[in-house]
Amino acid sequence: MGLAHQAPVQAGLAPWLAAFAMTGVVVAYLAATARLRRRGDAWPWLRDLSFAAGGAAVATAAVAPLPGEPFTAHMLQHLILGMAGPLLLVLARPVTLLLRILQPGRTRRTLLAVVQSRLAAVLVFPPVAALIDFGGLWMMYRTPLLSAVHDQPWAHALLHLRVFAAGMLFTTALCRLDPMRHRYSLALRAGTLVVASAAHSVLAKSLWAAPPPGLTFTAADLHAGAQLMYYGGDLVEVGLALVIVLDWYAEGGRTLRRERRRMDAVPSRV
Amino acid sequence: MSVRSDRSLWAGVLFGVGAAAFVDEAVFHQLLHWHHFYDRSTTDMGLVSDGLLHAFGWFTTVFGLVLAADAARRNTLAKRVAGGGVLLGAGAFQLYDGLVHHKLMRLHQIRYEVDIAPYDWTWNVVAVLMLLAGFLLLLPMLRRPGRAS
Repeated sequence: MGLAHQAPVQAGLAPWLAAFAMTGVVVAYLAATARLRRRGDAWPWLRDLSFAAGGAAVATAAVAPLPGEPFTAHMLQHLILGMAGPLLLVLARPVTLLLRILQPGRTRRTLLAVVQSRLAAVLVFPPVAALIDFGGLWMMYRTPLLSAVHDQPWAHALLHLRVFAAGMLFTTALCRLDPMRHRYSLALRAGTLVVASAAHSVLAKSLWAAPPPGLTFTAADLHAGAQLMYYGGDLVEVGLALVIVLDWYAEGGRTLRRERRRMDAVPSRV
Repeated sequence: MSVRSDRSLWAGVLFGVGAAAFVDEAVFHQLLHWHHFYDRSTTDMGLVSDGLLHAFGWFTTVFGLVLAADAARRNTLAKRVAGGGVLLGAGAFQLYDGLVHHKLMRLHQIRYEVDIAPYDWTWNVVAVLMLLAGFLLLLPMLRRPGRAS
């Protein structure tokens, strides 16, 4: 093992299946927005762009050889699968699109019921989503899990699927762009983001000093990978912070316009 | 301090904290390579404190700017108060970094293989000067009578 750790291109079918599935989802998204626009609905082009970019990044990270030595390339792959890809996909509001495009009927009712179910509400409660995402991340790097799945393509692919799914959950829970059962304050969302980002940067620094148990990498590789995790994480954190804060700003704008309309309606105040 | 200037003050303080964190990262870590990314004498407690402050720094930069934009659209952006806030935030960050992180937790030093004392003094004196300057800028606002506090 160790230095024999291949660049994170897994042999086997699973990564290709994942890449094809992702491509299929992107095509379906674009077909749906085209239909929406034909029928006269507005749907910002930026969302199409964001979804296509996110899907392309995830599909590429699943199958293409990434630059860098083994650990650095592995980290780049995880940054794309677990953070950057999910942010781009979530920004495109896929669930909102699905609810708009589906005809009233059983499928739509089921989707709505799932989205508004109690279980979904618990999963997208920001601290719960953060715990699932970062608890899993911690387990992957600080237990022998990674070295155990290392030479088993299907197990390795499942681990990547978990990274992607948990990243989607965390991003969805923080951004809250698609319809959800509850709304949460800026303080809760921001607090969760800050604590989760802190956990991410602490883990990155700890990887700088010690590799995941059971694996060995060259010091240069380990250091480059850890710093990529640290600064790459920052970049996505700033993106998430922008989404949360601009949401707050937009809500303040709506309140402000309501207040101003009320003021205008009372002539004596002018 | 009035509600009017509250938002400006917070916008300033938060942006100040973030700006100081950013300067620390960009200048001392990336450009000069004086600080170390990780120095093996770091305690777990130090790592956590550094991680939290690092994450908080990014968030406050973004939030400080948007708070300022919010004050501006309400026509309540008090530039002097915001400026004082920036100095207070930056000074507080630098003093915490200089005293707690560098000295108390020994997270990393300002520079390695040199006599560290003059660097430490400069670092912390600059921090105190920023705090003082911020306080002086805010003084007229604190004194002004007839404002609800």
